[in-house]
Amino acid sequence: MLFFAFFPMYIMLQASLKDNVQFANNLWLPSAPYHWENWAVGWLAVKDFIANTVIVCVFGVGLTLAFAIITAYIFARYKFFGSQILFYMLLAMMMIVDIASLVPLFTLLRDLNLLNTLSALVIMSIAGGQVMCVYVLRNFIEEIPKDLFDAAEIDGAGDVGVVWNVVIPLSGSIISTLAILRFIGSWNDFIMPMIIMRDEKLYTIGVGLMSLNAGYDTQWGPLMAAYCIASVPLILIFVFTMRLFVKGLSSGAVKG
Amino acid sequence: MIDSLIFSMKRRKKCYLLILPTFIVVLLFRYYPAFSGMYYSFFEWDGALVKEWVGLKNYTESLQDVKLLHSFMVVGIFILANLFKLIPSVIVALLIFHLKSERFQYVYRVLFVVPMIIPGIVYMLLWKFFYEPNIGLLNQMLMGLGIVDVSKPLMWLADPKLVIPCIIFMGFPWVGVVSVLIFLAGLQGIPKSVYEAAELDGCGPIKRCLTIEVPLIMAQIRLSLVLMIIGTLKGFEQILIMCNEYGGPDGTANVPGLYMFRMAFMEGRVGYACTLGMLLFIVILALTILSDKFVRVDK
Repeated sequence: MLFFAFFPMYIMLQASLKDNVQFANNLWLPSAPYHWENWAVGWLAVKDFIANTVIVCVFGVGLTLAFAIITAYIFARYKFFGSQILFYMLLAMMMIVDIASLVPLFTLLRDLNLLNTLSALVIMSIAGGQVMCVYVLRNFIEEIPKDLFDAAEIDGAGDVGVVWNVVIPLSGSIISTLAILRFIGSWNDFIMPMIIMRDEKLYTIGVGLMSLNAGYDTQWGPLMAAYCIASVPLILIFVFTMRLFVKGLSSGAVKG
Repeated sequence: MIDSLIFSMKRRKKCYLLILPTFIVVLLFRYYPAFSGMYYSFFEWDGALVKEWVGLKNYTESLQDVKLLHSFMVVGIFILANLFKLIPSVIVALLIFHLKSERFQYVYRVLFVVPMIIPGIVYMLLWKFFYEPNIGLLNQMLMGLGIVDVSKPLMWLADPKLVIPCIIFMGFPWVGVVSVLIFLAGLQGIPKSVYEAAELDGCGPIKRCLTIEVPLIMAQIRLSLVLMIIGTLKGFEQILIMCNEYGGPDGTANVPGLYMFRMAFMEGRVGYACTLGMLLFIVILALTILSDKFVRVDK
């Protein structure tokens, strides 16, 4: 089973070092000479896509969490007029399937003149992540002892200070889990960038690879190298955060 | 009464201010599209100028739309297939869970997860290449073994008979990272005493798996089931990437989401597309509620 799981990766890696003739002659095994320049060509082809995707992911995830942490903190700590209703209003959005609003969303973005901009993708990422993140974070923040908030306030911290000095350090693990999940989600996002972007320079990685793949006269080596390069960031993130990710996800799953 | 209400609202002014960013984004980009979609679904609209109120016409049309019916049948097949494709994840989770050494458990977990973390699009494009008729892996292999005639390569994704099986087979061996991790979490929650009792009763590994472990992680299985059903119903990027915007040859593998997408962005029938979106939403909602009722496990 492990063999099959790694098989696509293996094919991708070994094919990225071949030219088209080697590729046609021998699909299965690596063969000399190794064309390392394929990776250079592949990198040139995808570097703009990767840059765009990184911008969208970083700003999207950062702002999503910034908004969500503050909102979750307010809901967790304060009762105020309408707080229940407002919170349920957020939760209700869990029931709305995003696909039903795909088309109206497109017309809305068009009316706001946001089509073909990276900021549209960032906004989509923020809007898409709010409900889930606020919900998870609120549950988490509610378990932080209230005394800590009061203590920080006595020391002269405002709400933002409390969030910065108490909430974020104490909920680091759940925040990073959410960040990773959101990051992977944005990296893999395909439909939104496809309907929003017209300009090839602004393509994110998914749409970009698709357009490379659709090109005529495929040079398989560089294409496979491009696939590899597109996978590297996610694999890196994952390897470095594996422990955290598995831990956080399992505890989240048990709760849900 | 009202005075005190206003007073308390004023006292909590900063609360309202601080949750404002979230609510602006959610109201504008989640609530508004959801409701405007409902509104647009009563119009015949090309997305730009021509907009005409048609009442329920879009809905009646969709109920008689043969292509839509077909697409729902296709998605039904995919859901059934995905049901079976959950089994390998359960098995892998069980295998990893029963590894004796903790280090091996960890290593295997990483090993299984790493290949799954290649971006979805790369994975799909790789499979698309496997299915490529002339140079693709599958045909090369079958030709090499003499199963397929070299002069008549199988067309796979371009063959109306083969396209659905091809898409179902994709992703073999069908181990989903998220499902495996969810199941593992469930298994780790089973109390040790249950195992000890089973051992005392002379319960073998297979019986233990069927009578204890699987029933006890039913909650997790149900969760993945619901996630899978929703994901399959609304997903269309797989078909779009593997085939084309028509859902493969003769639209054989057309799914509702893709149909909606095509109506909106290729054929300029935005109103009708919104109607399809609403229908899809209703179906998903109904199925979620149903599956929650029927697959519920008492714990």
